[in-house]
Amino acid sequence: MSGERKRFSLFFYSFAVLLLLYSAYLFVSNVDQLFVTQAAVKTRELTSIWDENREVMNRFAGGFWKDPYFWKSLNLTLAITLITTLIATAAGVPAAYALSRYRIPGKSLIEVIFSAVMVLPASSIGLCLIVLFNYGPLFAIQQWAGFRVAHSIFPGMVIASLVLSFAFGVSAWKATFKNINPRFELVARSLGSSRWCAFKTVTLPLARGGIGCGIILAWTRAMAEFGAVLLFCGTFRELPVSRFSGFTRMVGMDQADWLSIAVWAQIEYGNVEYGFALAYVLVVFGAMAMYVMHRIGAKGHIW
Amino acid sequence: MKKLFWTGAALFVLVVTAQVEAGSKDMLFHAGVGQRSSLNEIKDAFEQLHPETMVNFSYKGSGYFIADLTRSQQGDLFMPGEEFYLLQAVERGFVVDYNPETDIPAYFITVIITPRGNPAGITKLEDFARPGVRVGLGNPRSCAIGLWQMKTLKKAGILNEVKKNTVLSAKCIPELGNAAQHRAIDATIVWATTAVLYLRDCEIIPIEPQYRGVVRLPVGILRFSRYPDQAKLLKKFILSDRGRQIFHRHAYAIDPAIPVDKDGFCLDDATDKEMQYLVNAAKAVKNPALPMTPEIIGDLAGEVLRQRKTRRAGN
Amino acid sequence: MNIRVSNMQGRWWPCLCTVAVFAAVTAYGVLILSNWAYLGWHDTLYFFSRPRMWQRFWLTLWTSVVSSAVSLLVGIPAGYALSRFRFPCRNLFATIIDLPIVVSPAVIGAFLFGITSRFPFDVISQQLGIYIGRNVYGVLLVQFTVTAAFCARLMKATFDIIPERFEAVSRSLGASNTRTFFKVVLPMAKTGILASALVVWARAAAEWEGLMLFVGATEGKTDILPFAIYLDWNGGMMGWVVSMTIACVLMAIAAMSAMRIIGGKSHVW
Repeated sequence: MSGERKRFSLFFYSFAVLLLLYSAYLFVSNVDQLFVTQAAVKTRELTSIWDENREVMNRFAGGFWKDPYFWKSLNLTLAITLITTLIATAAGVPAAYALSRYRIPGKSLIEVIFSAVMVLPASSIGLCLIVLFNYGPLFAIQQWAGFRVAHSIFPGMVIASLVLSFAFGVSAWKATFKNINPRFELVARSLGSSRWCAFKTVTLPLARGGIGCGIILAWTRAMAEFGAVLLFCGTFRELPVSRFSGFTRMVGMDQADWLSIAVWAQIEYGNVEYGFALAYVLVVFGAMAMYVMHRIGAKGHIW
Repeated sequence: MKKLFWTGAALFVLVVTAQVEAGSKDMLFHAGVGQRSSLNEIKDAFEQLHPETMVNFSYKGSGYFIADLTRSQQGDLFMPGEEFYLLQAVERGFVVDYNPETDIPAYFITVIITPRGNPAGITKLEDFARPGVRVGLGNPRSCAIGLWQMKTLKKAGILNEVKKNTVLSAKCIPELGNAAQHRAIDATIVWATTAVLYLRDCEIIPIEPQYRGVVRLPVGILRFSRYPDQAKLLKKFILSDRGRQIFHRHAYAIDPAIPVDKDGFCLDDATDKEMQYLVNAAKAVKNPALPMTPEIIGDLAGEVLRQRKTRRAGN
Repeated sequence: MNIRVSNMQGRWWPCLCTVAVFAAVTAYGVLILSNWAYLGWHDTLYFFSRPRMWQRFWLTLWTSVVSSAVSLLVGIPAGYALSRFRFPCRNLFATIIDLPIVVSPAVIGAFLFGITSRFPFDVISQQLGIYIGRNVYGVLLVQFTVTAAFCARLMKATFDIIPERFEAVSRSLGASNTRTFFKVVLPMAKTGILASALVVWARAAAEWEGLMLFVGATEGKTDILPFAIYLDWNGGMMGWVVSMTIACVLMAIAAMSAMRIIGGKSHVW
C-alpha cells in the first residue's frame, strides 16, 4: 500500500477504533461495580438493624447465581421473548413479504407508520397500551371477563414486547425480500407451482440468512425492551405466591421480573452490585446474539 | 460544499455555546421523586431571592441515593423520602450538621386512595381484607410507603388477608397512584402528598387516627458540597415559614407538634383537619360549584385550580 | 417489481400476507390514535398552548440535533472503514461496536453512570467545575452513546450499496484518496446519508431510559420529551403525558416521512 493510501485508511480506521474503544470502555470498566466496596458493607450491616425486610447483599455481584429470583427472572424473560419472537415471525414474515412484493393501497403510509413506531420512545408505547387497555371499550370487555391485561404476565408482557419487536423484524425481513429478485418466483409459478409452493421452495431458501437475521433482531429487541414493559406491566416480585396461577408457578415464573426492569429495580433498591450483574447477563445475551448474526452474514441491509 | 460545511460548523458551535450558561452557582440537590412538585416551587422562590444561584435536581428512587453518593461524591443537599436514608448518610459521614429535632421541614401522612367512584366501596382500613378487593402494595424493600403499609396493616391485624388480595407490587409510590388512577387496583395506601396529585381521578378516604402514620421528611447538607454557603441558605429557606408554606400547599403536614407514638402512628385526631381539607379538595376538583375557601380546603387551592383546568389530569 | 394479485390457485398465501399487513397497521394505528381519543380536542389544544411544552420540545430538538451531528461526524468515517476495509476479527469488532445498540438503554444508563464518576470524566469535572452528567451534558452524552454505533451501522449499509468500482476508476484517473472520497463517494451517498441522519436524529430524540439513572430532572434543562413523559407519569399528570406522547408521535412521523421522501430508492431502512 502506498503511503497516502495508508494514511487515508488509517484516518478512517481511527474513527472505527474510537467507537470500539468507547464501547469496550463502557462495558469493561464497569466490572468493578460488581465488587462490594468497603463503605457499602458498613451500610449493609446497618440495614439489618433497621428492619428485617431490608435486604442485605454482601457478596460479589450480589451472589446472583444463588438467588432464585435471578433464575426465575431469566426464565420469565427468555420464555416471554421466545413467545414474542415466534408471534412476530409468524405474523411478520408474511407482512414483510406483502410489503416488498405486492401493490398495497397506502403502502407509503404503512411503511411510515412502521418506521415511526420504531423511533418512538418506548415509554410512549407502554403509555399508549395503558390508555388502550384501561380506558374505553377494551376496559369494559376486561371488566366483563374479570381479567386485566395490564400488569399481567402472559398477555401483558407479550404484547408490550411484541409491539417493537414486530416492527424491527418486519423492517429486516422487508429488506431481505427486496433483495431477492422476484423473477425466480415468477419463473416457478410459470412452471405451474402455486404461490405458496413457489415461496416455500424458491424464496425461502434464498432468504434464509436474512430471515434468520430478522429473527435474531426481533428477539434482541424484545430482550432489550424496558419502557413499555415498565409502564404496562410493572414488577411482580413482592406479590404473594397465591396471585400467580398454577401454571406460572409450575414453570417457575412466579415472583420474577423482566430482566431489564430487574436491573433498574435492583439498582434503585441500592443493590448496585446485583443490578450490574444482571446488566452484564443482558449484555452477554446481546453480544452472543449479535455475534451469531454477523456470522450468518448480514449483507446489504441495516445490520 | 466546503463553505456550506464550515458555515454549518460555525453555526453549530454558536448554538451550543449559547445554550451553555456560565457564571452561576449550580447546586445539585438529591431528592426523592415524590417531592418534585413542591421542590420545583421552592426552587423558583429561592432563585428569585438569590438570582446568582441555580438549583439542579437529581430525582431518584430512595435506595439508589447511597450508592450514587458513594460513587459520585457529588451533591450539595439531600432530601430523601425517608429519614432512614439520611441516617445512613450520616453514619457514613456524608452529611454534616444534621439535627433530627430541627431539620424536618414537613411530614407525610398516610391516606387511603381509590379509583374514581370507589368501585369496591372502601370506607375504612378493614375493608382491604374483604375478599375480592384488588389491593396494590408497595415493595417494602424499595420504597418507604411499602414499609408503612406493612406496619399499618400489621397493626390493624389484617396483613395476611390483604396479602392475598394484592394484585400489584409497586417499586415506587407513583406506580401505586397511577394504578389507582387507571383503575388497575381498587384501593391502596399512599402519602397525602401523592394523593393530592390524583384528586380528579381518585377518591380520598382518611384512615382512622390510630392507624394513620406520620412520617418525617428530613433535609441535610452534604459533606462534598461545592457551594456550602448557598446550600446553607437553601436549607434555611426550606426550613423557614415560607418554605413550609409551600410544602403545606402540596398536602404535607407542617406542624411539628403532632403527637405520635413510638412507631409513628397518630395518638389523637390532630391531623383530622388536614385529612378533611384533602377530602374537600377532592370534591372541589370534581364539582366546580363547590366553594374553595381556606376553611374548607386549607392551602390546597392551588392544586385544586390546577387540576380543574383540564378534563384529563395535568397542569 | 410488483406482482398483480390476479387469478391462479393458492390465493390464500397473498391473502394471508395482506391481512397480516393490515392487521398490524390497524393495531399500531389504534394504539397511536387512542391517545387522541383519550385526550380530546379541548385538552390537546390546552396542553399544546403551554410554554412548558414548547420549552421541552425545543430542548429535545437541539440536544438531539447536536448529538446526532456529533454521531454523524464519528459515524461516517467509521461506517466507511467498516464497509470498505477488510481486517482480521471483523465480526468481533462489529459485535463490540454494536453492543450499545442491542443492549437495553437502562443498562446503558447504568454503565454510563459507572464511568462518569471516574477517569476521564471526573478530571474534566474537577477542572471545569461542572457536574458532568447531571445537566444537559449528560443528556448529550447518553444520546451520543446510543446513536454513534447506530449511525456507524447505517453508514456502513449506505456505503455498501455504492460499488467500489467508482472509487477505483477515480483513483486510476489520478485523484488522491481524499479527493475521491469527497468528490465521488460522498455525493453518491448523499441521499443515504441524509436519510440515515434523519433516522439517527429520531432515535436520539426518543432516548430516555439512559437518563433515568444518570441525569437528574431539572425543569427546562434536562427534561427532554421522552424523559418528561416518564417524570410526569410519576406525578400522575396524565394529560401532560398523553399530549407529550402525541408530540413525540408527530415528530417521529414527520422524521420518517421526510426520510421516505428523501431516501427514495435506498433500502436502508
